[in-house]
Amino acid sequence: MKRYLFPVALLALAPLVWTGCSSGGARRIDAGGRESITTVGQVDIQDFVAAAEASVGKLLLSGALDKVPKPPAILAVSLVRNQTGQQFDTDLLTKKIRVKLNTSGKALTTTTVGLDGVAEDPLAKQLQGEQQKTGVTPDFTLSGKIIETRARAGDVRQSTFSFQLSLTDRRGLALWEGEEEITKQGKRPSVGF
Amino acid sequence: MAGAVVIASALLTGGCKTTVNTVENAQPSAQKEMVADKRVITDASLARKVYIVGINEARNDSGVLQIQLEVVNQTRSRQRFTYHVQWFDATGMQVSSTTGAILPCVIEGKETRFLSAVAPHPACKDFRVQFMESTR
Repeated sequence: MKRYLFPVALLALAPLVWTGCSSGGARRIDAGGRESITTVGQVDIQDFVAAAEASVGKLLLSGALDKVPKPPAILAVSLVRNQTGQQFDTDLLTKKIRVKLNTSGKALTTTTVGLDGVAEDPLAKQLQGEQQKTGVTPDFTLSGKIIETRARAGDVRQSTFSFQLSLTDRRGLALWEGEEEITKQGKRPSVGF
Repeated sequence: MAGAVVIASALLTGGCKTTVNTVENAQPSAQKEMVADKRVITDASLARKVYIVGINEARNDSGVLQIQLEVVNQTRSRQRFTYHVQWFDATGMQVSSTTGAILPCVIEGKETRFLSAVAPHPACKDFRVQFMESTR
């Protein structure tokens, strides 16, 4: 009887151990964390997170935002084109960059100046007009492009997403330019990095 | 027959076990400002795959702190890992970073790599870097 006690106890404990590691049911995970699903042909949330983190780090380190007469620099977000085959809102990248720059204290973004006169916050623009205030003139504009390059060898697929950004000053000169590339390879989507 | 299988498997695995050879100037002119570090190792296997040689730091003209970690893969095979940098202000409070990215990295056998991170705010004084095995 004693002989069977250990294997039986082991079998009873095994499901408890396994359920601690994996579960098929829906659950919350860290956005962009280690449990995120990684796809080959799409820009995943963790790709946006990594691209924004790297871009902002390089921009802060370049000191370009400090080259303004009255810090912090005023930044207007121009057009960031999505040239990939996937449809997504480029704010997934630009908002992360804006938030990080705002947090850094090095730049403030304007919500009343936009491409073709379209304000991100129409009410703020309207109030600004009513108060007869002179509009803000951004020190810099941020523009960019997201490009996809695909390759395939047998059933292994590879995608490279290039996140290209330019910071242009009032003279029209690109004071800073950055490019982050994320390459993913595989046969099918998987969980984790 | 068994011998052939052993040789074939050695050849197959040999493709993945290529290691890195390097060359550099014998007397580097750069003066690194090395940081005295404190390490907490809970995964000895990972610590061998991603051994931290040292950390140096520098501030740019506008006071932004940058750190650079030199890591070496002490094994002979390619390894995947992730790392995450946390930043703290002068009072020890973690500086919230909306995009605190967990970054994946690949390091070849015996390769030395440099991992860089830039503080999200000039007020950042301290940092902590977490390493983990890749999930797959």
